[in-house]
Amino acid sequence: MGGPAGSLEELQCLTGHTDRVWQVSWSPSGDMLASCGGDRTVRIWRRDPGAQPERWLCAAILDDTHTRTIRSACWSPCGRYLATASFDRTTAVWQHAGGVWEVVAMLEGHESEVKEVAWNPNGGLLATCSRDKSVWLWEVQPGQEYEVVDVKHGHSQDVKTVRWHPQGEVLVSASYDDSIKLWVEEDDEWVCAQTLAGPGVGHTSTVWEVAFDAAGQRMVSCSDDCTLRVWSCRKEAGQQRWHLLSTLSGYHDRTIFSVDWSRQGLIASGCADNAIRIFGEGGAGDDSSAAEPSGSGVGSFAMLCKREQAHPLDINCVRWHPTDPGLLASAGDDCCIKLWRWRPDAC
Amino acid sequence: MAELINPSPVVHERKATRRRRTPSHPDNAEEREPIDSLEVFEHIRDITDPEHPYTLEQLNVVTEEQVEVDDAAGTVKVQFTPTVEHCSMATLIGLCIRVKLLRALPPRFKADILLSPGSHASEAAVNKQLSDKERVAAALENPNLTQARLPAACCCT
Repeated sequence: MGGPAGSLEELQCLTGHTDRVWQVSWSPSGDMLASCGGDRTVRIWRRDPGAQPERWLCAAILDDTHTRTIRSACWSPCGRYLATASFDRTTAVWQHAGGVWEVVAMLEGHESEVKEVAWNPNGGLLATCSRDKSVWLWEVQPGQEYEVVDVKHGHSQDVKTVRWHPQGEVLVSASYDDSIKLWVEEDDEWVCAQTLAGPGVGHTSTVWEVAFDAAGQRMVSCSDDCTLRVWSCRKEAGQQRWHLLSTLSGYHDRTIFSVDWSRQGLIASGCADNAIRIFGEGGAGDDSSAAEPSGSGVGSFAMLCKREQAHPLDINCVRWHPTDPGLLASAGDDCCIKLWRWRPDAC
Repeated sequence: MAELINPSPVVHERKATRRRRTPSHPDNAEEREPIDSLEVFEHIRDITDPEHPYTLEQLNVVTEEQVEVDDAAGTVKVQFTPTVEHCSMATLIGLCIRVKLLRALPPRFKADILLSPGSHASEAAVNKQLSDKERVAAALENPNLTQARLPAACCCT
């Protein structure tokens, strides 16, 4: 027995991009959605305040800055800045005020395509990663100056993604070298505290994305090996140690490009087989383990829903809305962004 | 000029190919013809080898037998065989095949481009690279690659 099943209802298809959409990103308060992709633009979508049922409209198009694909867009925790990472080797920081968007900083240094940019939870650090195999950490200085505080060369291949732990003390990177690395700060230097890889434990092909649960005690990763892996954290001698909790195999038919974990505990995946899947924690029929302390997790996950042909082509990104439970955005190779509402079946 | 990887490749005749299917009847002309392996092969057989003035078919890099198509599922699998097993052009050849199919097939088709098993010293690495769509997308945006190498290698009449 799994948790209650449900379905995804398509609310809206947002059109306008003229090439593949690589990523969508909700602003921290959830009032805006940024999207970016192969057409070298960022589009900012806002909810139409008058419309019922809810409609989202394109409020701004940010262009003329990046000269190649924009792979990633990330909001600062305060919501006033948007950082964009591009195949043109640069990361731009945009500021918006009164409906006007302006580039206030260009971060240069990577030798090849920048694949992801991520702001830490207090807004003081930016992490970027690249095809050049490195992870860079940038400190935000007064006056929109960004100073490189560390460059990490731990991966042997392209670094596909970087993501901060919700409490901010751990940075996670994942790579074409099939590994996930956890970085912590020690005496002004970022060091690799743990590598999640290897036979029987790690992914067997490129790791495309990772996502944390709301408490930061578990993490899910998705891969070209067509599996999701759930990792859980234990404190050992004052240090976080991550362990493989569960491998979700047999569900996906092609590369899984994206995964996100909602505050309500639902995992969404976006796959090259055009489907969006929703997983939830099972265990309803598993009363023997009812005494499991909260937070450690029993590690049994069940697929609650598979939405076939959610997009007619590959799905590159799925993101849960930060405050509206069950609102999901997805982005695809079909140049479209879709908004979905998760509707659990009544039990 | 740089030394050739395979200075004297074996060159084969261009094969005559024949449709196994009979053409559809005029009364159901509206019906879409499913895409088959021959049609996919027609798109890639005349790609020029990056190193030699011959086509991939003439060098036996691609054959119709190594093309699998499932029209209903929207999948295409192409296996190719470089002329030498340490061929440094393998990734470029695979990229040319992928680009040609991207341009020729309806977008709903998902193509897997793979080396024939055992045909290359770095088979797994080349296959992984060819299946990484982010790397492929970045390569296609790279002006050095698209202007200098891909048109010459991928163009076919």
